[in-house]
Amino acid sequence: MTDVVFENVTKVFPGPMVAVDDLSLEVGDGEFLILVGPSGCGKSTALRMVAGLEKISSGKIVVGGEVINDIPPKDRDIAMVFQNYALYPHMTVEKNLGFALRQRKTPKDELEQKVHSMSELLGLEQLMKRRPGQLSGGQRQRVAMGRALVREPRVFLLDEPLSNLDAKLRVQMRAELKKLHQRLGITTIYVTHDQVEAMTLGDRIAVLSAGRLQQLGAPQDVYDHPANVFVAGFIGSPPMNLLRGSASGGLIEAGDLRFPRDRVPDGDVVVGIRPEGLQPVGDDDPGPGFEVHVGVVEPLGDEVLVHGTVAARDAGVRIEPEEATLLAEMSDRAAMTVRLEPQMRPREGSTMHLRVEPATVHLFDAASGDAI
Amino acid sequence: MATVAARPQRGAPGFARRALTSDHLAGWLFVLPAVFLVALFSIFPIIWGFILSMQKASLLSPSRPFIGFDNYSRIASDPVARQAAVNSVFYTCLFVPISIIIALFLAIALNQKIRLIRFYRLAVFIPVAVSTIATGVMFMWVFDANFGIANWALGGVGLGPFGWFDSPSGAMPSLVIMTVWGWLGFDAIIYLAALQGVPHELVEAASVDGASHWTIFRNVTLPLLGPATLLLVVWSTISAVQLFDEVFFITHGGPLGRTSVPVFYIYKLAFTSSYGFSAAGYAAALAYVLFVVILILTLVQFWLGNRVVHYSS
Amino acid sequence: MRTQPDVRAVGTILAATDRSNLKGETGMVDRPRAKWLPFSPWHLLLMPVAIIMLVPLLWVLMTSLETLAQTQHFPPILWPGSFQWSNYPRAWSSVPFGTWFINTTIVTVAVVVSNLLFCSLAAYGFARIRFFGKSVAYFFLLATLMIPVQVVIIPTFLIVKQMHLINTLGALIVPNLANVFGIFLLTQFFRTLPIELEEAARIDGASRLSVLFRIVLPLSLPALATLAVIQFLWTWNDFLWPLVTIYNEKVFTVQLGLMSFQGSHVNDTNLLMAGNVMSMLPMLILFIAAQRYFVRGIATQGLKG
Repeated sequence: MTDVVFENVTKVFPGPMVAVDDLSLEVGDGEFLILVGPSGCGKSTALRMVAGLEKISSGKIVVGGEVINDIPPKDRDIAMVFQNYALYPHMTVEKNLGFALRQRKTPKDELEQKVHSMSELLGLEQLMKRRPGQLSGGQRQRVAMGRALVREPRVFLLDEPLSNLDAKLRVQMRAELKKLHQRLGITTIYVTHDQVEAMTLGDRIAVLSAGRLQQLGAPQDVYDHPANVFVAGFIGSPPMNLLRGSASGGLIEAGDLRFPRDRVPDGDVVVGIRPEGLQPVGDDDPGPGFEVHVGVVEPLGDEVLVHGTVAARDAGVRIEPEEATLLAEMSDRAAMTVRLEPQMRPREGSTMHLRVEPATVHLFDAASGDAI
Repeated sequence: MATVAARPQRGAPGFARRALTSDHLAGWLFVLPAVFLVALFSIFPIIWGFILSMQKASLLSPSRPFIGFDNYSRIASDPVARQAAVNSVFYTCLFVPISIIIALFLAIALNQKIRLIRFYRLAVFIPVAVSTIATGVMFMWVFDANFGIANWALGGVGLGPFGWFDSPSGAMPSLVIMTVWGWLGFDAIIYLAALQGVPHELVEAASVDGASHWTIFRNVTLPLLGPATLLLVVWSTISAVQLFDEVFFITHGGPLGRTSVPVFYIYKLAFTSSYGFSAAGYAAALAYVLFVVILILTLVQFWLGNRVVHYSS
Repeated sequence: MRTQPDVRAVGTILAATDRSNLKGETGMVDRPRAKWLPFSPWHLLLMPVAIIMLVPLLWVLMTSLETLAQTQHFPPILWPGSFQWSNYPRAWSSVPFGTWFINTTIVTVAVVVSNLLFCSLAAYGFARIRFFGKSVAYFFLLATLMIPVQVVIIPTFLIVKQMHLINTLGALIVPNLANVFGIFLLTQFFRTLPIELEEAARIDGASRLSVLFRIVLPLSLPALATLAVIQFLWTWNDFLWPLVTIYNEKVFTVQLGLMSFQGSHVNDTNLLMAGNVMSMLPMLILFIAAQRYFVRGIATQGLKG
């Protein structure tokens, strides 16, 4: 049984800068958990605390029932894959794979046998005598995973392992990673900021922002029921459209949009609509909807993205810390992204009438940001 | 966010355990051997040197009576020390500009992509590997008044013969020529490294902008050599003020005391029978004064230099 | 006599030489060669300079192969015709050159090896471990680079005397076991290595020591070679400190030996030059063989032995 439990874990860097703030989280035995969030949200710091590369300021991390706060990294029996792979450049692939086992004084024949079967598993047999400098990106990635997995660690940590690969290879490696996990069943924590990896790889995802846990759940649940505006804006690509609106007497209003919703207290709200939640209809459609001024049309083959504006006010939710929101806040029109069927091709500069299915609209409290 | 900063609290036993398993102990274990050696052979001596400078000390006898600042006041009225200072200033004023200016032009030449460049570089660099004593033996022969190649070559163009190290007015310039030969490679390497640090893009941008070769050198390359020049000025000055090996080996401070320099005097005071091995305290005081002079020179040069030199980063 | 580096400039130069090993030309733009010469005009400057730099060395070599009568001839004989190779064995056997070479080799090897070890350990501590008092300790170490030799030479002599090392090779080894410049050079270099490699190794089960010896040092071979050759140069050519601490001819270094040889053979110019050539030869060979490391080392610290 190797589960990983974060109990009120906090990491404060000198400054002081709180990187991880009171994080409590359980990763079950054999589970594949994704830590996702924008850059600087503390996800890598959380991972590095599990590895022992960062000291824990307060709280504790329990692995397999044992508090590991004061155990040095070499004795934790945890493996990690780094973003840039961190392969030892002066060692051959074979030596890289065997490094951890040699540190553990593994008998020679056992070591060779394990390195060999790992190389078979990852298809590295032909590369054993090469050095990392002579490998392609995908091959390095595989060696990095092999090096981590060869000693059958209790916990497997990955820090944005696919971000240095090109798009095609990333898709391929994603599938391989998933297969590998299904086969080995090692408890895995995977840090990424990539939407697709977050949605496809994990059993559950944990969304972090500014060091705090925003939501924890199965990928589809998080997508369908974001707990707050941050999660709503972060999960999903293109992101959810977030508008300022108000609720009074069971009636929700945001710009042109007007629809009833029960049990919503009066006051300011944030209205969230996924790009696929907007249906093009004729001008005389009576249902709730928007007039969208079409700005840019991006045909992507299997779908068409329309970036336009509507007569409403942007909610001004900041996802990435460096994201500029000034423009949206000043304007009396809000940006709106719409996902259409591939055969649709609205003219740039035209106006579209779009209908919104009220049941698919997400509502958030404007003050706290929490879902209503 | 700010409220979290005060959170960590430690109990005493936890603290002790942390100290043992923590990086503090490991860090000190790693640096301790070196720190101990440096403390013993650099930091401790500099303190002891100051104490010695206030004692009437001999290297032979363990009794070292304390005499306050007498050693320091003695310096002011010591004609030998004054002569050493004058000689040192003379040497420094010749050596520093000559070696640096030659090295600058040489480094620019050595930075060209031409044939034989490896040979030229080796020829200029090689004195770096030759010891001061070997250089001395060599130049005493090159500058030999009777059979030396220098007098022969200069005689060919109607100059000389010169007395070189044996002539009171020529000894110091001869030392300058010899030490410039020994230091050129060193200076050229520093300049060459700085030249190679000049970013390609800057030069390319300037040439795309239509600048001539001279303009590029004057306005791009030369300013970027500022830090290296400052470094070399400071450095050459420090080493010029500390001239010793050549004087000790070749001229013994002569002729007529014209090449006696401070470190040579300090050495004679402390370690030779010239002053009966008895003047170690006075020598330590002189060394300290020299140290302070070097420190002030360095600071002044950096202060002046930093007003002229631009550091790129 | 040794002059110590200015730390800030050292950093700039270290970075510059890390990028290039003084290979080809940079900082200049290629241009068509001047038309009025069949070769680059730079040769007009460089060829005479190269000759001036090399002539003293070559003349010493020639003199070492002449008869005594030939050396006492004016104008000087630049090419002796027949070479007196026997000058070399005669010079070698007239004084204990062999002993002096062995002494110097022992001292130099001991100092180089101990510096590589102690400086690596300390530099790793300073570069990679966060510990209490680190910046203060590092500052004090760097500050000692400012101290001129003559300020510490008298007290250091007394310390070494107290250790009963005067007139032994230990006097030349012990005070030089760890050099601050080496610590500085390696600390700067270690900081440029990707830290993930070390983190990966620690997660893979390596202790700090094992990270240093299996990951950091194998990746630092250029820096270690640089430190080794520069330390070699300093130690081999050092003069003032041996002069002060060694009086017994049996314990002489090559430099002290050459000085004494010169004193006893002032008029045997041919033998003297043969001895001089022999004294220079090891460093010259090392220099030519490892020129890039010397160049890098000097560019980094700008010290001369």
